[in-house]
Amino acid sequence: MLCLLFFMFSNNRNAWLLLSPTILILIIVGLVPFFYVLYVGFFKWNPLAVDPSMQFEGFGFNYRRLIFDDVFLASIWRSIKFSVVTLFFELSLGFILALSLLSSFPLKSFFRGVHTLPLVIAPIVVGSIFKLFTVQGLGPLPHLLKDYFGYTLNYGLNADQAFWMIVIMDIWHWTPFVTLTLLAGLSALPQDPYESAKIDGANNFQIFTYITIPMMVPVLIVVIFIRLMDSLKIVDEVWMLTGGGPGYATRFTGIHIWKEVFEKRYYGLGSAMSILYLYITIVICWLLYSVMVSRGKNED
Amino acid sequence: MKKLIIAVVASIFSFSAMADGHADWWKKAGAPYAGTVLQGVAENTPPGQFAGEVIAKEFEALTGIKVQLENTSWDQMYDKAIKDMEANSGIYDFVYIEQDIVYDYLNRDFLVNITEGLANNPDLQAPGVSLDDFTTFIDYFKDGSGDVFGIPMEAFIKVYLYRKDLFGRADAKAQFRSQYGYGLAPATSFDQWRDNAEFFTHFCAEQGMECWGTTVQGHTGHPASTYEFLESIAPSFGLYNWGVNMDNYQSCVENGGQLNGGRAKAALNFWTQLLPFAPPEALQSTWSEVGSSFAAGRAAQGWVYGENAAWIATDAEKSAVVGKVGVMLPPTAPGVMTQAASGNGYIGYFDGGAYGIPHSSKNKEATMLWLQYVALNDHQADWAIAGGRITHKDTYADAKVMAVDEQADGYFSLMRDTGFLYAGAPPFPFHGAGRGAIDPFIYSALAGEMTPEEALDGACQALDQVMADLGYQG
Repeated sequence: MLCLLFFMFSNNRNAWLLLSPTILILIIVGLVPFFYVLYVGFFKWNPLAVDPSMQFEGFGFNYRRLIFDDVFLASIWRSIKFSVVTLFFELSLGFILALSLLSSFPLKSFFRGVHTLPLVIAPIVVGSIFKLFTVQGLGPLPHLLKDYFGYTLNYGLNADQAFWMIVIMDIWHWTPFVTLTLLAGLSALPQDPYESAKIDGANNFQIFTYITIPMMVPVLIVVIFIRLMDSLKIVDEVWMLTGGGPGYATRFTGIHIWKEVFEKRYYGLGSAMSILYLYITIVICWLLYSVMVSRGKNED
Repeated sequence: MKKLIIAVVASIFSFSAMADGHADWWKKAGAPYAGTVLQGVAENTPPGQFAGEVIAKEFEALTGIKVQLENTSWDQMYDKAIKDMEANSGIYDFVYIEQDIVYDYLNRDFLVNITEGLANNPDLQAPGVSLDDFTTFIDYFKDGSGDVFGIPMEAFIKVYLYRKDLFGRADAKAQFRSQYGYGLAPATSFDQWRDNAEFFTHFCAEQGMECWGTTVQGHTGHPASTYEFLESIAPSFGLYNWGVNMDNYQSCVENGGQLNGGRAKAALNFWTQLLPFAPPEALQSTWSEVGSSFAAGRAAQGWVYGENAAWIATDAEKSAVVGKVGVMLPPTAPGVMTQAASGNGYIGYFDGGAYGIPHSSKNKEATMLWLQYVALNDHQADWAIAGGRITHKDTYADAKVMAVDEQADGYFSLMRDTGFLYAGAPPFPFHGAGRGAIDPFIYSALAGEMTPEEALDGACQALDQVMADLGYQG
């Protein structure tokens, strides 16, 4: 409808005509489900209930409940903690690798190719690979750790190990994305500031701190946003590796919503969770963006 | 695998002899639907594989109706089937109905009434097929008026499996007696189970063997562990129906339930105390991994689903313990056996499932034919051998089944003679939601983050909250 209005009143009708299929698809696959979830979130609805129909009990019914839901709130905190930790390691490692790949060394192309491989693997397969590699009794890693270091790896029992195993899995999977994106940014940086800095006698650390980092801020913002949003909604790998356990140890918000909606069939509550979590994600991203942009302006 | 291939080839070449001698009827009945492709989704179990690889091919050769059976993981099976039926999309013509989910499906009117469907279409009623041929397991798939909504394709009991070779070793017997003061034997009490578990864990280590004292189906992130507790461990301690008071739908002791009562706590304590004597993979093991662990010779005893018992005992291609497996009823607490025998309780889980037709199916008539073909007596014996399941009364007496029964230490006979002591899941339409509420507490107890007492106190409150939310408490 909106498209039609623009088409009717715009001077550039051809452009709107060409755009209309894309806009229509976006509306169907993006906006319609979003508004449906928003709508369902206002209802008490579980098809397993004595009364399986959708019952409206006030706009805030599910949201009020969520504010006092310790498990949901804990899952949000867990997801944020996970995102911050993985972001830190992926950015650090990714930057180091990207800088390394700028220089020449033997078998550089081969290394770059191998390093990119995890990116093409589906998350559910990454979970399976790690499970086969690390599961007690079958996987080689627990044996090696036990035999050579006396360390017992059993993330079915140890909550910390389960959390960190998922952190490691995520770093393995997504650091190549960070590396490639930063490498593209680094390759496109102008060389003049570097030459001037060298003439002025700046050392490598000063060049990195005062020239490379400030010039890379726009790329870093993009990488941080993409990875932050991705890691906040992690589900597949966790579902495959730990199923959210032991206990609640790896029950991130995505897993929690999945269990509430698809196992327990709390459609209304689960929809409200999704909307609230989306809102929290947007707020986190907006705060981060504001901080980074204001710091960038101050440095200018 | 080799056995399966031989079965496929043999069955394709002999399909005209199949169909209980009514091949012409099947050809004629299938003719209007020839070329139709029936889509089904089921759990990837040995019986499911046999249905997809053998029976479906016979059926296609006979009728021209192709059956594509998607055997997938337990979680995916539910996810796909329920989404399809909720959305009424009609992707699947038949779905697997696990015994414990049937009340949910019936409550939500997902399934076609097969009795009514056949009565309304006499032309589709296959000769040689009678629902009376089934064991009483078919009763789980009937509604209040006795109409059938699912054709059973697997049924089995959960048994106590033990290693005859280990229990029979003279050095083990002598060492056990000197340590515990009584004779080494398969467990008939929970104390004996624990002693056996502790003993064999140390004995195997001393002998340099990769084996432990007992299996524990204790995945700390998968519902398999909750099922193990609620359906096997707890009933054998005398806790039935998840400890829910069926009159008021309360599960906490203070409200008339039993989920945090003495029997439940004794059961969970017993189970979690077995963990030090279980293979290291126990906390990441579902029913499949438990079967695999036992088959690999990594456990001396354990609760094992019957669908795995037969192949563990007889299939040398997959099992390292063929000829070494003993089968018994699991131990029970005092009074439980009497209650079970009188119909006032049960000692464990009578597991199984059926194929049913969703209302959303676009090929209901052709699927009716397929389900009746599944119900034919002809392939029941081979199916029982391949999958450790029996759904028809006469299958027990088949010569091939009896031969395997002997190899499997009387597993089939045990199911025939003691099946009445077992029961399916309680008739809770809120099954998934209730179990989902209990899950994290069982996981936490297994991981040692909560004591069994704390876990069950939390579990009963969470379950009560769900039953209140869903309106079952009035």
